[in-house]
Amino acid sequence: MKKSLSFAAVLALVAAVAAGMSAAAGARSSDTTITGAGSTFVSPLVQTWQQPVGGALGVTVNYNPIGSGGGIAAITNRTVDFGASDAPLSPDQFSACKGCLQIPWALAATAVLYNVSSVKNLLHMDGPTLAKIFSGEITKWNDPAIVKLNKGVSLPDTTITTVHRSDGSGTTWNFTDYLSSVSPAWKSKYGVGTSVNWPAGTGGRGSAGVSAVVSQTNGSIGYADVAFALKNHLKYFAMKNSSGKFTTPGLRGILAAASSDQKPDANNALSIVNPPKKFANAYPISTFTYVIVPETSAKAPELKKFLFWAVTKGQTFGPKLLFQPIPKPVLVVAEKTIKKIHT
Amino acid sequence: MASIDTPVRPGRRSFTGRRLRPADALLQGVAAIAATSAAVLVGLIAYKLVRDAWPAISRYGIAFVAHDIWDPVANHYGAASFLFGTVLTSVFALAIAGPLAIAIALYLTELAPRALRGPVTALVETLAAIPSVVIGLWGILVLGPFLAHHVEPWLHSALGFIPLFGSPSTGPQSIFTAIVVLTIMILPIVASICRELFLSVPRELKEGALALGTTRWEMIRAVVFPYARGGIAAALILGFGRAIGEAIAVTQVVGGGTIIQANLFSGGDTLASKIAASYQGADSNIQVAALIYLGLILLVFSLVVNLLAQWVVRQFGRGQGAVSRASARVGATA
Repeated sequence: MKKSLSFAAVLALVAAVAAGMSAAAGARSSDTTITGAGSTFVSPLVQTWQQPVGGALGVTVNYNPIGSGGGIAAITNRTVDFGASDAPLSPDQFSACKGCLQIPWALAATAVLYNVSSVKNLLHMDGPTLAKIFSGEITKWNDPAIVKLNKGVSLPDTTITTVHRSDGSGTTWNFTDYLSSVSPAWKSKYGVGTSVNWPAGTGGRGSAGVSAVVSQTNGSIGYADVAFALKNHLKYFAMKNSSGKFTTPGLRGILAAASSDQKPDANNALSIVNPPKKFANAYPISTFTYVIVPETSAKAPELKKFLFWAVTKGQTFGPKLLFQPIPKPVLVVAEKTIKKIHT
Repeated sequence: MASIDTPVRPGRRSFTGRRLRPADALLQGVAAIAATSAAVLVGLIAYKLVRDAWPAISRYGIAFVAHDIWDPVANHYGAASFLFGTVLTSVFALAIAGPLAIAIALYLTELAPRALRGPVTALVETLAAIPSVVIGLWGILVLGPFLAHHVEPWLHSALGFIPLFGSPSTGPQSIFTAIVVLTIMILPIVASICRELFLSVPRELKEGALALGTTRWEMIRAVVFPYARGGIAAALILGFGRAIGEAIAVTQVVGGGTIIQANLFSGGDTLASKIAASYQGADSNIQVAALIYLGLILLVFSLVVNLLAQWVVRQFGRGQGAVSRASARVGATA
């Protein structure tokens, strides 16, 4: 008797849960769901969009931050409605994606993190020195090159441990793009990519992994999107730009960098890494990040509604997360591209 | 319900043996389908791996396993450093976990006070239930820094003349951290199988030995170990298989890097951790193919280990208790 009673109870419970689930599913199916995957860099921004988009447009946005490379693969295979990548598509990727559109939809910066005991925040750093550090040529914190950039700061004799992303990442693309543009040696030996053949250092999985390793390693230098660095109270460098000024990855520095390239190329790609010296306030490791959508989509109306919202209203959610709203000329191009999407 | 059914069943069976034949056929059919589908599944996985890895196989051939470059920008790939890392981490993890696990099992079956056995057994098995991603996180935040700041410098100063114990790592990630994490992960598996094995040793044999005047240790050496030999070997190989295949926790603590060096305190990668770290973000077809090639190597590696396990068990395990045969089968499915 007892057994059958508890069996009945379990049955009732299962039935209740199932009913609840189908009710929830029913409530949701009146909205349209669009699914995206890709860049971890842009995911904090997309996450803040999800609720207002649901309220304003009746569109549910699911976003899976699996990394830029994964996002490109997912949209190429059409397993999602949109992909997101910090690295613009290469010509090969464009042709593989068969009729994909690339739209710049967010703008932010990569911070160069460090952790060395008893040293203040915002130490000075320049590109060539950073490239030598990540090549393993500079191995001590009190190396003359670093001391020269930080006069009056006493730097310890600590060994430098570089920390990079072990997974494929748009942040890595942005960072190595910068290193390649300031160091010909880096460009020829290691190049630009979402993952590269790191000559030295240790790898962390995701921004969270990098920050965990940086915070646990005295003497470490790593990189992550600036929102992540701030949220986790990590120290980061003020980077020397082409005009010789040391700038921080704040909104002003990102905006100045963005103004260096406002003419998207035929594929809407923009390059704002290491801008020329007339952009005196530019933070040199800034990047646009892109949403990639198929030109023909079964969910075209919802996709268009969502993307229009994202590049206009959605940008106002950015500054709190250190995403600079995209400049007007870029917005115009983005809107023109969104209009091309059809069923 | 049960009270109505029970008296009827024996009646049916005694009535005629033929009546149950359809059920027998059904059972045989279902079992055969289950068995074949498992075999077919392995075949399909192997086929899919070979097919998807084909671009890399045809480009690099078998030389893939001898190259230690992994350059996604220039699209040059090789598996040597990952193969090296896999062997290094799993061999050392087994070397530490094996004796410890056997000691735990002996303690729980022969030495511990009866009141302690239940709780300690439960705790050891709980260790196996911790998700690997949690162990990995703990590895970065707690274990790694402790090893880097306390254990590694000590090992280096005591045994630094051996290349394995080179200069200590500066951060929480190293091959050594991965070895310790793997040790913790395979310990409960090996320990609980060994415990079952030792429990299956017939009491008469043990008591007989003790009655002949042996000490407890002599009894263990003369009776328990020989009786359970095949099973212990299978348990160790099962643990080894687990260590080879573990991906997530290792990815978190191993540090990455493609430089083959003897120093355990430097970073490295294993086949499984490289696949886990890079597959999702791979942005060229040849890189994906190369990663799947790594998966294929891992599959072959595990197959070889399993075949070895079966051979070992057949060599040592003749004429022993059912448990050791059963665990041999467990070993074979690792």
